[in-house]
This record gives sequence, structure tokens and C-alpha cells, in this order.
Amino acid sequence: MDDAIVIFASDLIAIFAIYLVINLSLNLEFGFAGIPNFGKVLAVAAGAFVMGILPIQIYKVILNSDADPIDDNFGLVAQINDHISADPLTAVAVFGVTVLAAMAVGAVLGFASSYPAIRLRGDYLAITLLAFGEMIRLIGTNYEGLVGGTLGVVIPDMLSFVSHEHRFLISSLVLLGIAGLIFFLVHRFTESPVKRLLCGIRDDEVAAESLGKDITNVKIKTLMIAGVIGAIGGLLYAAYVEGAVALGYNRLNWTFLPFVMVIVGGMANNKGVLVGTLLFVVIRKLVIYYNDVFSGYVPFDIIWLDYILLGAIMITVLIFRPKGLLPQKAKRIT
Amino acid sequence: MIILTDAIIYACILIVLCLGLTLTYKITRVPNFAHTTFAILGMYMALITTHVYGLSPYHALPLAFVVSGGVSLFLYFGIIRVLQRRGSSDISLIISTLAFDIAMIGVVNILADYLAQDLRVISRDFTLRSYDIVIFDLPGVLIASIVMVGVLIASLYYLLYYTKFGISMRASIENASLAQVFGINTEKVFCISWFLSGGLGGVAGVFMSMWFQGDPSLSPLLLPTVFAGSIVGGFSSIYGAILGGIIIGITEIFGTNLLASTFGYWIIPYRPLIPFVFIVITLMVSPKGVSHIIERIREKRWMTQ
Repeated sequence: MDDAIVIFASDLIAIFAIYLVINLSLNLEFGFAGIPNFGKVLAVAAGAFVMGILPIQIYKVILNSDADPIDDNFGLVAQINDHISADPLTAVAVFGVTVLAAMAVGAVLGFASSYPAIRLRGDYLAITLLAFGEMIRLIGTNYEGLVGGTLGVVIPDMLSFVSHEHRFLISSLVLLGIAGLIFFLVHRFTESPVKRLLCGIRDDEVAAESLGKDITNVKIKTLMIAGVIGAIGGLLYAAYVEGAVALGYNRLNWTFLPFVMVIVGGMANNKGVLVGTLLFVVIRKLVIYYNDVFSGYVPFDIIWLDYILLGAIMITVLIFRPKGLLPQKAKRIT
Repeated sequence: MIILTDAIIYACILIVLCLGLTLTYKITRVPNFAHTTFAILGMYMALITTHVYGLSPYHALPLAFVVSGGVSLFLYFGIIRVLQRRGSSDISLIISTLAFDIAMIGVVNILADYLAQDLRVISRDFTLRSYDIVIFDLPGVLIASIVMVGVLIASLYYLLYYTKFGISMRASIENASLAQVFGINTEKVFCISWFLSGGLGGVAGVFMSMWFQGDPSLSPLLLPTVFAGSIVGGFSSIYGAILGGIIIGITEIFGTNLLASTFGYWIIPYRPLIPFVFIVITLMVSPKGVSHIIERIREKRWMTQ
């Protein structure tokens, strides 16, 4: 096979897997439970930041190094990569610990965003969560101790032990495997009676409450689970691109785009999310690909057409097919 | 002195933006997340007027008003009204304004790229401060923005309370279906309000470009600030919006300065956190905003008399 095709396809698979994880978490809180989390970027960025901090700190102890993780970032990461290629088992263990830490941080942030979510309605909630999301980027960009401020940090390649020829393909397959596992778990979760509970609260809070459901409790738990999954998504992205730059965690890529994918695919339908994610990952990939082809002919960056296209698609779908390509199916109880 | 100038100009700009946001929210119940991008649009109108046509930035005011107002009218008439007629949920309406915002940011960036590449104009992180006039050793934009806010408040007051259109506008806000029964064309009222709101955003953008730095990436940073001003004001009263704009504008500038002089200059980039703190405190203490507190105090005084 052609090398370029392999790289193109494996990048497509990797980005698809990462967005699938994030969109599943958004679908859980927004599609099923009806909480519009306009601060999705919060959990995603937090997961990425954990990936940017923790592995380097753990390896610093293992290597007994006193290099500064931010200032001597490149040197330290090169050392760590050598250690990973020599000792894959430790790398897997470190990655596992990092994932657990990111999940914990995601849960805490989910809990924090449940504070406004159980007290505020519609508009005010949207504004507060949106502001939450803007803040993490602000802090990450300006506080250099976190992930190196505007310059960002380089993250050790957790798959350094794989030979270079297969590196791209293997990492994509690992990501796809993790995404598949999460899809399976979320799908099982939303096929259980919990789905009825969440949808019941989404459609009519008063009715659900009159049936003895503890709405507050359910909302807190839902946001915490969604925070955990969202943080895993962010962590996978940071691990895949081997770096974390706070400026990259903006509203467009990690809040708006997941919303577009979930709504176009079909809310409260995990298969719809699968379709929506695939559709938009392919579209964006093609836009970036054709950017190089057209860049000489037009007096602007093609990437901005992507903005216009996304906005236009979103509005068109909201007007003509508000329930998405694969809407939630109503089940007849027999 | 420079801080005071900063604070006054910033507060005036915020008043105009909060006013527009509150107006459309009160009338159509849609929080417009694309509102700050109207200001960015106004900024670029000012840039085009000065650099392409060689005029003073003040000449951009009518242009910015019409362009931003027109885009705002399109957002309402072409998208929000259609969605409302199809019975979309509040969240869908919010998402549609976010989507419109993203598309508009794309358009503004294309404009900026075009200005930079074809016309060799510095179109990112630009300021038009040097194009401003000086009146009595003071920057013209300082006096102009104060005058603008004064005129705006006076004319809005006149419009709402002394004209027939103002009465129909207030009636449509209070109860749209009842107003329709009385023969008021509520659709026309809504359209004019959205045009006015967007136009005012554009005007604020022109003033902003004459003192602060203009860049398309400013819009998402400014958005929480404008929402903070409107929320502090209560999101339902025009005078609350004015008060909210003043409170946020003054505290953001003076607060940052005060914190920087006590804790050090590293704190300056965290300035956007201040409006966020205001949102949280307002929603926790008095979700209906400052105007609600003032109303309650007034009521109490009246009761005790």
C-alpha cells in the first residue's frame, strides 16, 4: 500500500475514535439527559492537561532526573521515550495510572458543572457552562506551570516501543479499540432502564419527580460520568498528537463540533452519533487536505470556509431535520 | 489617568453591547451568542473606512450600524423566526446563534485575510488609535463614546415612552399575542429590535477599534463579559443593562489594575476571569440582577411610608 494512503487513513481512524469518545459523553448528557453542556471543552482540556503533566512527572521519578518538565521539556521527553522503548510494561502501567487520574479529574469537573446544572434553566445554564469552558483555556494559556502556557508541552510517545513503520497504524488501532470499548459500555448503559430515567427527566422533569425520581442526584451522576468519558477523549487526543497546547482547546473544536456531530447524527441514539462523527471527521479531513491544493488560488485560508460550512450545515439541519439523520426511535411497549 | 480613560471607554462600549443583548433577549427570549461578533464586524468596517478609503474612523459609524444591523436582521428573520415557527426548543435556538457566530467568524477572517493579502493592510491585532482626533488634550473617542451613550439612552427613553412605536414595542415585549389582538404588527417590532441591537453592536465595535486592539479572536473572549454585564443587570431591564455595563467595565479595568499592583503583573492576563466571577456571584445571590435588588429596596421604602 501507498505510504500516504496509510497515513491518511490511520489519521482519519484516530481522529474518528477520539471524537467518538467525546461525542458519546456529550450524547449522554445532552441527548439522553437533556443538559446542554456548552462547556464540553472543559473536561476534554482537563484530560489533555493530565496527559501533559502526569506521565512526565512519574517518569521523572523513575529516571531519577531533576530536569524541569517545562523548561527542559524536549530533553526530558527524549530520555523518557528511550526508556519507554526499552521497557514497554512500565509505559503501559504509567499510561493506565494517567488514564485513572484523568478520569478522576473529569469526574470532579463534572461534579463542579453539576452545581449550575441543577440550579439553572436553559439560557442561564448555557451561558455559565460556556464561560466555564472559556476559562480553562485562559488559565492553561497563561499559567505556564500547567502545560507550558502558549508554547505548550511535548508529551512522551507511549508507543515508542513499536517500530517506526507500524507506529501510525498501531496507534490508530489502539485508539479505535479504546473507542470501541467505550462505545460498547455506553451503549449497554443506555440500553438499560437508565435510558428511560434519563429521557424521562429530559422530557418532563415534573412528571419524573412525581414518580419519585431524584432528579438532582441523576443529573450529578450523569454529568460526572460524561466528565469521565470526556476527559478520556481529551487524554487520547493529547497522547495521539504527543503534545498539549492550551490554545488549541477552543470552543469550536471541542464544544461546537461535538454538538454538530451529535445533532446531525441523531440525539439520544448512539448509532446516530457514530454516523455523525464519521461524516464530519471525513469532511474536516478533506477540507484540510484540499487546503493545500487550493491555497495558492484564493486570497484567504481555506480553513475559514470550514467555519462557514459547519455553521451552515448546523443551521440547515436544525431547520429541516432537527432530530438528526438517525432520530431516537420510539419504542412501543407491548 | 490612562486607566480612567480605559475604564470609561470600556464601560461605554459594554453598555452599548449589553443594551443590545438585553433588548433582543427581552423581546424574543433568545440569548444571542453571536452578539459580540457584530462588534467585530463593526471593527472591520472601521478598518476598511480608514485604510481602504482613507477616511476618519468616525465615518465608519453609519456603515457599521447598517452592516451589523443588517446581518443581525438576517439572523432573526432568516433563522430564528423560522426555527421558532417550527417549534424548536430554546436549546436549538441557542445552538443556531452559536452556529451563526461560527459562520460569521469565518466570514470576518476571510475578510481579514483578503485585506492583508490583497490590500496589504495590517488586519489582525490592529488599532486605529492614531487615526483618532484630539479634543482639549483628550482622545476624541473618550468624548465621543460618552456622548454616544448619553444620546443613546436619551433617544431610547424618548422612543420607548413618547412615540407610538415605543408603546407598541413595550406592548409586544409584555405580551406579544395580546399586542397582536390590538392590531400591533409585532413582527415588525421584533425585526426593528434585532436590527437596532446588531447595529448598536457594530457602532460599539467602531469605538472599540479606536482605543483597543481589534482581532477576530476577540469575540469569544468578549462574549462572557457582555453576558456578565447583562446578567448583573438582570437580563430583563434596559436600565439594568446600562448599570451592568458600567459595573463590569469599571471593575474589570480598575480591579485588574489593583490586583496587579498588589500581587504582581502576572495577574493581568487573567482579567477575563473577573466577569466570570460576577456571573457566578449574581446567579448565586440575586439571579434577577441588580435592578431587582433596587426594585425591592424601593418597594420596602414605599411599604414603610
